[in-house]
Amino acid sequence: MNDLHLDDSQVGDLRSLSPLHLDALREVANIGAGHAATALSQMTDKTILISVPTINIARLEELPPQLAETEEPVAAVLMSMLGDLSGRTLLVFPNRTARRLAEIMLRRPLPPSETLGELEESAVKEAGNILSGAYMNALSEFLGMILLPSPPSLAVDSASAILSTAYLQFSPDRDYVFCVESEFLMQDSTERLRGFFLLLPDFPSLQAILRAVRLA
Amino acid sequence: MISQLPCDVRVRVADMAAASHGERLVTVGLGSCVAIILHDPKCGVGGLAHVLLPSPEMSRENDNPAKFPCTAVPALLDDMERLGATGEITARLVGGASMFRSLLAYGGVNMGERNVSASRQALSVAGISLVAEDTGGEHGRSVYFDVATGRLIVRSVSAGDRDI
Repeated sequence: MNDLHLDDSQVGDLRSLSPLHLDALREVANIGAGHAATALSQMTDKTILISVPTINIARLEELPPQLAETEEPVAAVLMSMLGDLSGRTLLVFPNRTARRLAEIMLRRPLPPSETLGELEESAVKEAGNILSGAYMNALSEFLGMILLPSPPSLAVDSASAILSTAYLQFSPDRDYVFCVESEFLMQDSTERLRGFFLLLPDFPSLQAILRAVRLA
Repeated sequence: MISQLPCDVRVRVADMAAASHGERLVTVGLGSCVAIILHDPKCGVGGLAHVLLPSPEMSRENDNPAKFPCTAVPALLDDMERLGATGEITARLVGGASMFRSLLAYGGVNMGERNVSASRQALSVAGISLVAEDTGGEHGRSVYFDVATGRLIVRSVSAGDRDI
């Protein structure tokens, strides 16, 4: 049962991944998240803490609840990963963090408002681009693979709408969601800001990653 | 007379529910998913299905009727009949957005659009007239449907509240 079974025509069963496989995937994600955190730290000149990555394997209709059970708006940057691995990265910032991040990047305070203007949206998108770029670069070096990021795409919406769309429109698996999630914490002068980085590899790419670390 | 606030019935993703007077059907976080809302105004019975995929062929696990429009519509009609719906039924559709549309060029399916057209098709097969819809675009939506009055509020982060 510990073998990762996959035939080329069909997406295999995510539930067949063993604890050893999951550990390896967490470690790979941690390398990516570490580089992304360094990039974020250099960009904002703040200390960034990252959590140990967690792996979520869930049915599409039971999306990871810590992100999805809310109607609170979040800013999310989705990028497609092309090349030797296929999948996506999704960076999710709660609205307040997105606004603060835009202030830091634009080096000026934002007017009090609930929404992000065009310039702020562009700043958040660029932050997402830099972070995902750093994450993919680290993966690419560590795994010895070529990874090409697509341009970033931004949505500001409720977390559950964003997550379900990110999976439904872009994943070849319409039943199960596999994501590796790292949480970022940024200590600002007054408050703790946070964001989530989600790696959403397509199933064949999971096997490619496991092969690269000699576990498959 | 004291009017009472309706009691919320929450409908999750790939789920459905029928409700009657004094109840409000609520579903949140529709992205590319579609809410099919049915109403029998004469008998005061309503139903809501939060469908996920345009067809059962797209899924390996297709035993849940609320997941697809073609199975959700007949199942929801049965549930409504059990609550006493005998009158004419009208339908409204909400959702089917396509966020991150610019990335569809890098591999992806416009599932929102396909969910909307499959929902229209399922209603037409069941002979139910579609009276209003708020679909497409690039923003998520939530639905609040008061069964007694038939009032349907669509809420979105970017576009605010809107009655359809």
